[in-house]
Amino acid sequence: MHIPDGYLGPQTYLPAWAVMAPLWSWASARLKRTLSVRRLPMMALAAAFAFVVMMFNVPLPGGTSGHAVGSVLVAVLLGPWAAVVAVSLALAVQALLFGDGGITALAANCFTMAVVMPFAGWWTYRLLAGASSAASRRRYAAAAAGGYVGVNVAALATGALLGIQPLIARDPSGRPLYCPFGLSVAVPAMAVSHLLVVGFVEAAVTALALAYLTRTEPGLTLAAAAQEPTSRALKRFALAVAVLALLSPLGLVLAARFGGGTAWGEWSADRLSKLVGYLPSGFQRLSSLWRAPLPGYGPLAAQGASTTVQAVWYAISAVVGVGAVAAVVLVLRRLFTRRERDDRAA
Amino acid sequence: MSGPSGETVFAVEGVRFAYPGQPPCLDGVSFEVRGGERLALVGANGSGKSTLLHLLDGLYFPGEGRVAYLGRPLTEDALEETPFGPRFRQEVGFLFQSSDAQLFCPMVEDELAFGPLQMGWTQDEVLRRIEDTLALLEISRLRGRSPAGLSAGEKKRVALASLLVLSPSVLLLDEPTAGLDPRSQSLLLEILEALHARGLTLVTATHDLTLLPHLADRVIVLSEEHRLVADGAPERVLADTDLLLAVNLIHAHSHRHGRLVHSHPHQHVVAHEHVHDHGHTHED
Amino acid sequence: MTALPEWLRPGARPSGGVSPRPAAHRLLRRTLGAMGRSLALLVREDDGPNAGALRAADPRAKLLAAVGLIVVATFLRGMLPLAVCLGLTLALSVAARVPGRRLLPVLIAVPLASAALMLPATLNVVSGGSPLLVLWRTAGGALGPWRLPEIVAITGDGLLVAGRMVLRTTACAALALLLAATTRPQQLLGGLRSLGVPQAFVMVLAMAERYLAVLLRSAQELHLARLARSVAAIGVRREEAWAAAGVGAVFRRTRALADEVTLAMVSRGFTGEVRLLRPARWQRKDWLLMAVAAAVGAALLILDRRLA
Ligand SMILES: Nc1ncnc2c1ncn2[C@@H]1O[C@H](COP(=O)(O)OP(=O)(O)OP(=O)(O)O)[C@@H](O)[C@H]1O
Ligand SMILES: [Mg+2]
Repeated sequence: MHIPDGYLGPQTYLPAWAVMAPLWSWASARLKRTLSVRRLPMMALAAAFAFVVMMFNVPLPGGTSGHAVGSVLVAVLLGPWAAVVAVSLALAVQALLFGDGGITALAANCFTMAVVMPFAGWWTYRLLAGASSAASRRRYAAAAAGGYVGVNVAALATGALLGIQPLIARDPSGRPLYCPFGLSVAVPAMAVSHLLVVGFVEAAVTALALAYLTRTEPGLTLAAAAQEPTSRALKRFALAVAVLALLSPLGLVLAARFGGGTAWGEWSADRLSKLVGYLPSGFQRLSSLWRAPLPGYGPLAAQGASTTVQAVWYAISAVVGVGAVAAVVLVLRRLFTRRERDDRAA
Repeated sequence: MSGPSGETVFAVEGVRFAYPGQPPCLDGVSFEVRGGERLALVGANGSGKSTLLHLLDGLYFPGEGRVAYLGRPLTEDALEETPFGPRFRQEVGFLFQSSDAQLFCPMVEDELAFGPLQMGWTQDEVLRRIEDTLALLEISRLRGRSPAGLSAGEKKRVALASLLVLSPSVLLLDEPTAGLDPRSQSLLLEILEALHARGLTLVTATHDLTLLPHLADRVIVLSEEHRLVADGAPERVLADTDLLLAVNLIHAHSHRHGRLVHSHPHQHVVAHEHVHDHGHTHED
Repeated sequence: MTALPEWLRPGARPSGGVSPRPAAHRLLRRTLGAMGRSLALLVREDDGPNAGALRAADPRAKLLAAVGLIVVATFLRGMLPLAVCLGLTLALSVAARVPGRRLLPVLIAVPLASAALMLPATLNVVSGGSPLLVLWRTAGGALGPWRLPEIVAITGDGLLVAGRMVLRTTACAALALLLAATTRPQQLLGGLRSLGVPQAFVMVLAMAERYLAVLLRSAQELHLARLARSVAAIGVRREEAWAAAGVGAVFRRTRALADEVTLAMVSRGFTGEVRLLRPARWQRKDWLLMAVAAAVGAALLILDRRLA
């Protein structure tokens, strides 16, 4: 899920920095309010913790192994805003001090792994855990679900970031400049590996570590035990998802209008008009390989159409996708609640 | 500075302290520390020595009773006031039991600079002091190194340097000799001796009885019931075998060799196997 | 004399029981290896007098130069400018005596991984273009949701796209490594501090770096203890439970350390506002380094635009 330098064009990584800058300062301001003097050491230690979690290799059935990202675990233990700061710092240490690269892509990586992942995971966890007691099976299951959902949503976001590259950055002869795989390849590739393998590692580590800590540390106060009522969490979740879903086609339109096809600084009027022509043809070529109900983002009929029409389809796909996820979460929640009631009755 | 020697530096009165959700680990403790005094705090593992030092340094606050520094009660509010708060932090240095917690900067140099910069001293003054302090503790070559890569003994020295650079008048030392080799140990004792001669007040927590006569003019003993059970000259306390047995500082078995206390404590280390808990020195 | 239990003697073991299967220690050893390497990087000290000129250069200048060149590399489109960029970086790395054991992985692993990922991009179905080498002719048509292409072929365009990606990712990785390998983490943090990055942020990053070493050691000890005691493979589920317990133990240490560090900072007068040592002044050679880097970057960009 770690995007190295060179896969994202400046059209993507620069906006990512612009998005992350206020998020970072917001997150750290929030922590300042809640932690005051303890803020600095807590953030630093949490970052170091997030880094170390990534080093634990967990074996998977079939002889392979994987490691957890740990963002959801940090969010469950310390709260999602602490996770934003901690995981971002861990990624920065990795990119800068260890020379692992990903310096230009740092903000984009932070967006997927330090924002999307902890929040998606934490909201899922909150919704499913509800008011269950700290050491209940339901809470551990909710943590597992949080880990699974978090890492998968983050993978989806990563796939989307990679997948829009051929749409927004091509050289004058129409060849993709950065990651050459479109949405129809990048998104399923990321999704499948995470749905089938990585998600389970994340789920296992999140739930088992939480269980271990609740068992061995009775005084552990979970960040998630904050007094925020579930309905408010739900509303925020819905709002954030709606905003994201609405913003994504906007990004597509903007990219197509102003960025597409050339490196920056070389737009001219006739090229701009040509760009709009490029985009659909490139899109169509890629999508011709994959015509599943949604991942192509809209039926083929729309793909020869103008960017605006595509954007509309994109928005519809996003809304349907989000709706599907929400439905699954709600159904799970129902099931969990019923199970717990049964547990209590038994 | 903490006034003329003999003045009461710390006054501890009926202090009771408990960590949240736990039974008290200091129970009705009262004593005074006078200016220029060398006081040792002994007790078995878990008797509350470190906790008491935290209280003296204004890091924890007692549930009952009070701790006063130069006649002023040490409370959270008092420590937030200027000039009392910053002055207290500059005058009282605390050497933590775990050097890892104490050394939080990326380089030794930054570590020494941290305290003085918090006090708002000028950069030039800070740099001059860093140089002198490093030379005093014979660690100039460590200046650009990362604390993470230092040995346990080196870390202890850097931690001590980070306190001395503030020119404190009181030092609270939690197990300062733990994990030091004989040479570093005697260097440390020499420095403490010199600081004492300069008029510093030293409060040392230890369970290394052999070093007591070198570290202190007065000893107070904490029992495993977290009470203060003795207060007196090191020779007197060390001679009281029944007391030391009762607070579990020595083991009956150790007696077979005869006198526990004599004037050559260094040979003593080999002669008796006291209960030393090495598990408590989180050096790396 | 304390009475030892009767069974506590060399060679005593209970009768019966099953002999354990030898454990699969590969995973443990691999994790330990990775942790050891990370630790070694963190506590690395100065490399002596013959360490190359770049090492002595000012960390801010190096940081700005390296990040600037990485950004330039992401703007380059031609194969030639990218190759020049990579070549220069490698030449500098050799001149700066970046140890081979750090350079080689970047030189081999990054291009290989990148090339493997980019293999499909050489095909007409991804990158388009006229076929150079036809790999497969199909009858076309559709297969479920897929519409099959008529031919699958390697194209010139595809090779260009893939080659460009491999060169660019390698060049960026090599630049990042050059920076990290010629600058100790501690110096790099000092460099950040003097570039106007907020002091609180630098302090947190520095503390994260500092305590990463401590936590990594704890994690390493856990793994070593596990390696020393485990005789038999314990199955995936218990293995996972063990890893989670390890993560939990590290978290406990994290929290305890955070509390203690806070106290240590407060004890030395910290009230929430960070003050750090003022960094050294810029010197002429630092400006020189920056100027050279800027010139190289500009030259690469111009070359790139000319060729386009
Ligand atoms: N942060 C803490 N939270 C909860 N309990 C603590 C904490 N620190 C210490 N304790 C408990 O308080 C008691 C006193 O601990 P303290 O560290 O003061 O003992 P000590 O005399 O310094 O022991 P040692 O000689 O081993 O250093 C112990 O029972 C310990 O378990
Ligand atoms: Mg102690």
